[in-house]
Amino acid sequence: MNKINIYIALFMMLISMTTFAQQKASFVSKETSITFFSNAPLEDIEAKSILGASAMNLQSGDIIFRVKNTSFQFDKKLMQEHFNENYMESDRYPLSEFKGKVENADKLTKDGSYTLNVTGTLQIHGVTKPYSTKAAFIVKDGTLKAVTSFQVRLADHKISIPSIVGKKIAEVVKITVDATYKP
Amino acid sequence: MRKTLFILLCFTSVRSFAQEDLDKLIHIDGVKNEKVTATFKSGNLINLKTTETIHRHEMDFRVDHRFGDIAGSAGGGKNFFGLDNSTDIRIGFDYGLLDNLNIGIARSKGATEVRQLFEGNVKYRFIEQTVDNNVPVSVAFFGSTTLSAMEASPDKSSAASFEDFNDRLSYVTQLIIARKFSSNLSLVVVPTYLHRNYTAYNDQNDVFALGIGGRAKVSNRIALVADYTFPFRKSSNKKYREDVSGQHYYNALGVGLEMDTGGHIFHLNFTNATAIQESQFISETNSSWGKGQFRWGFSIARRFNFNKKKHIE
Repeated sequence: MNKINIYIALFMMLISMTTFAQQKASFVSKETSITFFSNAPLEDIEAKSILGASAMNLQSGDIIFRVKNTSFQFDKKLMQEHFNENYMESDRYPLSEFKGKVENADKLTKDGSYTLNVTGTLQIHGVTKPYSTKAAFIVKDGTLKAVTSFQVRLADHKISIPSIVGKKIAEVVKITVDATYKP
Repeated sequence: MRKTLFILLCFTSVRSFAQEDLDKLIHIDGVKNEKVTATFKSGNLINLKTTETIHRHEMDFRVDHRFGDIAGSAGGGKNFFGLDNSTDIRIGFDYGLLDNLNIGIARSKGATEVRQLFEGNVKYRFIEQTVDNNVPVSVAFFGSTTLSAMEASPDKSSAASFEDFNDRLSYVTQLIIARKFSSNLSLVVVPTYLHRNYTAYNDQNDVFALGIGGRAKVSNRIALVADYTFPFRKSSNKKYREDVSGQHYYNALGVGLEMDTGGHIFHLNFTNATAIQESQFISETNSSWGKGQFRWGFSIARRFNFNKKKHIE
């Protein structure tokens, strides 16, 4: 057996080992709810999607969230139509996505409550911006619950609000994310 | 040297693998059988109806206005290009019983011999286009009954020389078939059956017609709209009526701009049809674009919401 073959064998081993470890460290949340709340002088607008998805890796701290914009449900259907048609342009930008890292994510292997920093980039309306926030994690019996909320300035994502409805839609909306992860 | 290269290679591949891994782990479900929304922004194009309905517990208040001829013998500077006159005005209320079932009432002036019109209508969208294209079109039924409240004309050849109550009624039945081809383009085809209980002498009671129309987005809030309605009139009746009245029948063509301000929909349009109501503009358009007999028209629609505010679960 020559040297090259040994290297290849080692290489294969390493890949299989790492992916194995990876899978154990990866947690997936199928029940991810994302709510946004706009508080403006004339109107409060709230919408919620329960069809978001998220995954995180406890070793690397990598975390990802993704939601389909058309899955947000509004109280008023006309608002839902305007949200998709006029503001989010869901035909062109169907998804909103967050990709980032949880600092000290390795702590989450033990039961308990933690508040950790999360930093990463958020893509809404085709525009990607860096964000950082604190998230609360609760670990119990192998289940990981995460809750966070942060502010998004609509103008940052090139979502323009015409002045005629300016008093009905806030410039900054509050996003709340609630996810329950399982290995 | 070779060794370090190999190790480096190993690590880079593992690294990218991990990133992709999280990506693959999540798959998001959209809404199942997601329906195409906002094929049109409003229940009307210019003369034609669209498949759009207002949602449950919403009310739509709509005013349509048609001015006089811009040019031609009845237009021009002397009556400020038609703005001094109005050929028809319609004021209507629609209400959403369900998200796809609306009822409405309206009053319009009427632009033919038959005037003082009261209308009751229903629109039911029973097929909805889906995002996955399993259902390629939306289809709605529109039906209206129109009553003329005017005093019966003493001229026995007039369409308004009603003898009893039934003579005052006209019925419109339409099948509205629409497809949103892209976020920027929607088209509609409208086979129509119009029945008038009473007509002018030797006119036809039943008229079949075909309407076609479309909406093309110019920007997020402004769209071009156009529609064309072709009535299938019997040539013998048509010739007789044209000889007697000295007026020709034309097909109604409308072109316009649609503006969405969020809550309000404005239409600015030009059409040769003098009447707004289906029971009149389809069969009785006597003005021609070619003779300058087209007019400026507008419509304003405002939606009100009567849904109780509830927390979303």
